[in-house]
Amino acid sequence: MTAARIEFATSHPTEFVDITDRIREAIRHSGLRSGRVYLQSLHTTLGIAVNENEPLLLSDFKGLLERIAPAGAGYEHDDFTRRVDIQLDEPVNGHAHCRQLLLSAFATLLVEDGRLVLGRWQSVFAVELDGPRHRQLALQVDGDFVRTPLEVPETLVELELARQLRVDPEAVASPMRRLVEAGGKRLRPKLVQLTAGIGPRNDPVRAVELAAAVEFLHNATLIHDDYVDESTHRRGRPTVAAAEGPERAIAVGDYYFAKATRLIAEIGNPGVTSAVAVALEAICASQIDDVALRGAYPGDRESYLRVVRGKTASLFAAACASGALLSDAASEVVEALRRYGDLLGIAFQMADDMVDFSPSSGKPMGLDVRQRVLSLPLIYAAEDRVVGPEVRRLLAGSLGDNEVGRVTDLVASSDALPRVRKEAQDLIDAAVRELETVELDGLRPTLISLARSAVDRNS
Amino acid sequence: MQLLDRELDRLEGLWSDGLSDTYRDYLESVDHFDAEIQPRLALAAALIEVGLRLQGLGARAAPPTTLLMGDLCLARGSRLLADNAPLPVQVAFARAVELISSAAASEQPAPATRRLLQGSLGASR
Repeated sequence: MTAARIEFATSHPTEFVDITDRIREAIRHSGLRSGRVYLQSLHTTLGIAVNENEPLLLSDFKGLLERIAPAGAGYEHDDFTRRVDIQLDEPVNGHAHCRQLLLSAFATLLVEDGRLVLGRWQSVFAVELDGPRHRQLALQVDGDFVRTPLEVPETLVELELARQLRVDPEAVASPMRRLVEAGGKRLRPKLVQLTAGIGPRNDPVRAVELAAAVEFLHNATLIHDDYVDESTHRRGRPTVAAAEGPERAIAVGDYYFAKATRLIAEIGNPGVTSAVAVALEAICASQIDDVALRGAYPGDRESYLRVVRGKTASLFAAACASGALLSDAASEVVEALRRYGDLLGIAFQMADDMVDFSPSSGKPMGLDVRQRVLSLPLIYAAEDRVVGPEVRRLLAGSLGDNEVGRVTDLVASSDALPRVRKEAQDLIDAAVRELETVELDGLRPTLISLARSAVDRNS
Repeated sequence: MQLLDRELDRLEGLWSDGLSDTYRDYLESVDHFDAEIQPRLALAAALIEVGLRLQGLGARAAPPTTLLMGDLCLARGSRLLADNAPLPVQVAFARAVELISSAAASEQPAPATRRLLQGSLGASR
């Protein structure tokens, strides 16, 4: 159950204030999926009504109220000589109280599939009977809620990351804090939190601890990757290796690798610990493959998928599976979510590859080309009958600004980007199909939306 | 030995390059565990020690390809612990690596890795 207040000001003695959209907003904000909204007037001269919002009809209602309880018709309530404890500014409003008696001071409204149940012509009104005034309605929503509305848990993960960083030695906390505060999409923790709401054992506190640990683990791998790739910037800031040297980068990566595995172990769910440990091993093994493949740059699709499945998709899959395991979800649900995460992770990486060739992404173009990072658009362009020979020739030599610019132009002029976009969208469709095979306690729309947004962001 | 073969995938070269000796040394520290998991835990400890050494933690940074090999050693050791070690041992290992790496980041001398990891194996006693 959640509670709120609807506040508004009226400007006329009698006024019908349509509050339907305000109630809808309150429902959306609460995450109520199905249940009831309770509305209650907090005033004795403010009523509630459900009727049609048609101006002439509202004028009829006002006329009706005035006819039944006309102002100045000799109400005893207005005889201040006989009343006790009256205020200096006591209004003459016996008519307003009597009119309110004809209306209601409260209403119960139904909600289904997250929507306020109203007939085609129905609107909800707060009826001012003694305006103009500042007014309040109490509102409570009760029923089945979306387990983890996206806004709140995200904040909790940020708080947990900050909390953990506060207890770490400054030599390691400071570089990690810079990386954490630089942002990032936080997709992996989001997946943990969402899937942790699926099973019968929904524990948001443990879910946040796991989500933050997974984010630390991801960042630890990034810190080492940046040294390996000789990257100078990440998330718009200097990498740890560039800013503080490789020795510090290795130590910081190791510290948060160890700390994350400890935090996960301390949650005390062996299935979760194992799922994340397997993913971490896959990441490290694929990173070795990735570097090895640079000798045959840009490689082929099969090698690309093998590397991406380990480097990126494994932690997406583990995030989904570990959240579900934490909540004691059924094994078929865990496995469906693991497959969903795997497909989403590959699609996510493909979308990320396309950013390198997008002038509107806000990131420098051609960075992956310059650093010879595995990239599916580049693989497809190199295989292209028209531009392929020139792409391969350029990649075989040293890559200065001119060469990188020419390669990105060639990729953009080929059908590589539409092919990759289509492939990523097909993977998302497949991921969504995985969700259709199991019961997800109302979280399916959120997971579908998250998957689609992860790919749409750049295309 | 089948277990070792499986767990040494991609790391075969390290076995003859000191990992086997380290593993044997750790076997002496795991005799209080069930016989079935003793080799797994000894290998986990050996992989973590060798992994940290390969990375050059606390010394000069390893070149990228060697660092990645060290990362894989740590990850595999961690996975072996996750699948086989009691919770106190998992936590003790993680704390040992936290201690060594934070000392390295602070450019302070770290306690000897071998002693710390052997102590971690005793965390369940």
